Amino acid sequence: MLSESEVIRYNRQLKIPGFGEESQKKLKASHVVVVGMGGLGCASATYLTAAGIGRITIIDFDVVELSNLNRQVLYWEEEIGEKKVFVAQRKLSKLNPRAEIIPVFATVEQDTISQLLTGAHVVLDGLDHFSTRLIVNSACVRHKIPFIYGGVSRFRGRVTTILPGETACLACLYPEGSPGGGGLGVLGVVPAVVANIQALEAIKLLIGYGPSLAGKLFRFNGNDMKVQIDELQKNENCSVCSPRFRD
Amino acid sequence: MRVVIIPSLTELRIKVNPTKKEEREGLPNILMPWVFAPWPEAKNEGVIEAQIEGPTLRALLNELSVLYKKAGVDFEPINSKTNDVDFDYEILVNGRTRVDLPQGLETTLGDGNEVVVKMNMLWDG
Repeated sequence: MLSESEVIRYNRQLKIPGFGEESQKKLKASHVVVVGMGGLGCASATYLTAAGIGRITIIDFDVVELSNLNRQVLYWEEEIGEKKVFVAQRKLSKLNPRAEIIPVFATVEQDTISQLLTGAHVVLDGLDHFSTRLIVNSACVRHKIPFIYGGVSRFRGRVTTILPGETACLACLYPEGSPGGGGLGVLGVVPAVVANIQALEAIKLLIGYGPSLAGKLFRFNGNDMKVQIDELQKNENCSVCSPRFRD
Repeated sequence: MRVVIIPSLTELRIKVNPTKKEEREGLPNILMPWVFAPWPEAKNEGVIEAQIEGPTLRALLNELSVLYKKAGVDFEPINSKTNDVDFDYEILVNGRTRVDLPQGLETTLGDGNEVVVKMNMLWDG
């Protein structure tokens, strides 16, 4: 049962045909983990909090820097030097006091990632290095947790929803291993666009609508506003998600 | 020049004027068929042969774009606005990235050269 204030707070989405209280309760009962609280993570965590996700774990190892502020909109100048996850937790909790925001100040490591993802219903990618993305990907495959990958660069972005056991995983796409990070610059609005596509996919997954980007690569080009959505096949010999390697 | 297009797992390999018969046999299935093997015949024969006007890397990539367009795939390794390699892709010639090539996209391709087109995976968060 939603409280009176929740009915008012979420009024605009409760009105959506087919959404209603049932979907809102599902969001309230959900646990989302956002790994990386940079450009992508700030935006996705904000809108997931606003939407009424009951529990959001935010993971990052970094502190706020001036160069973050063109896109990491949860942080302000007066917070430079502070740990991102605690600043974010403070702000997100004020945005929606009903959401439990769990800050985790940690790096993504092979031997600790499973613990960090415990209990997650979906994991959102907010990372900026392929190697750490692959660590999260492996853990999500192992624990059968949907993982929504996002990447941005300059005016472009991409998203895919990985459903372990059903779709290609991130390791399928780059079997040779990690090519490193981007570092080629990004316009602040672009991570906001991509992160909100990720958040939308997550919400749809959680309320049972079905993610539209499962097994597909969404590519957005802000230079010419072209969007492409294309099929991704699984790599039958993937060392991470192929059954003969996994089991 | 005659080229043989061999869709690989996550990349496109193009052999220029190969002396021996090129096949996909033994190669794993293609993950991104919409880019790498949009032609129906690719499923049966595994490789696609084409004739390219012009001897350069740029000519090859431009012609690929035309071929893909005919197959209904929007594949533009050369960005029409910048006239350079599109950010979505990485291009290698004989293992060297095209930025390492002294002539860049104007590199003249020779018999037996191998051009590889990969998806760019360098994305930030």
